[in-house]
Amino acid sequence: MKVTVNKTDSYENESAVINAVAVTDDIRHAIDLLRNNGASIPVVSDGDTRMLMASDIYYIESVDKRTYVYTKDECYGTRYRLYELEEILGAGFLRCSKAMIVNIRKIRSVRAELNARLSAELLNGERLIISRGYVGELKKKLGV
Amino acid sequence: MNKAKFIFNQALMISTSILFCMGVRTAILFFTKGIDMAGWEWYVPLSIVIVGFLCAPVSLLLLYDDQAKSAWTMRLRICLHCLLVFGIVSLSGYLFHWYSDLAGFLVVALIYIIIYVFVWIATTWILKADEKKINDAIDQIRDEE
Repeated sequence: MKVTVNKTDSYENESAVINAVAVTDDIRHAIDLLRNNGASIPVVSDGDTRMLMASDIYYIESVDKRTYVYTKDECYGTRYRLYELEEILGAGFLRCSKAMIVNIRKIRSVRAELNARLSAELLNGERLIISRGYVGELKKKLGV
Repeated sequence: MNKAKFIFNQALMISTSILFCMGVRTAILFFTKGIDMAGWEWYVPLSIVIVGFLCAPVSLLLLYDDQAKSAWTMRLRICLHCLLVFGIVSLSGYLFHWYSDLAGFLVVALIYIIIYVFVWIATTWILKADEKKINDAIDQIRDEE
């Protein structure tokens, strides 16, 4: 594949365009690297530790001082706290309540509720609540 | 801090609505009966602000709660909020002599209901507009299913 790099004057103007016949695994990996700086986190499942790509994560929840990472149809434990994961995972993730972080790219749609919070439906059909206090942050991240 | 901000915003909004109610009532009295009430008693402006701050905790109690609630629970809370705030406004109106007879009370009640419904229609409209903008933006970046 032909690769062209053009220098730009600021980080905000940085962008990447990929012209491809199909989105192969290699291209998907490149997209993950560009979007999340290749972020991945160690997670534990049945006693085994493995690295989970940020792009596979749907949301992360903290319950009783334990942190759980949810993918499309799996759940893993992790030793990280939510605030640490927020830093590691970067701008593609949103703190949607005190105990939850959601991957914005996995939100199918949102529905406004009367008390100004949002009900978000994820790509796997699960529904999460984006608390009133975090709606502004979501709008900021989306440039709305 | 968010709760303090919420109380302050609610107090400001309710005080403004009461001021609007009383302004409309004064205008109605002037144009229908020729009664000039522009010279309000010294305590009236202060009483409007006080009532705003009396009503704000009701809003905090019933509307601020961010925990998962069904749509029907929320509607019930809004109805309860409407009635409680109306109760406080009516009682305060009586104590602070905002109205002197039943006709005056009915005018205040009617304007209150109109404003309350209008505020919720406007709020819903703003929320739906935001919802559309957010969904449009999400469409641009969403991962493939």
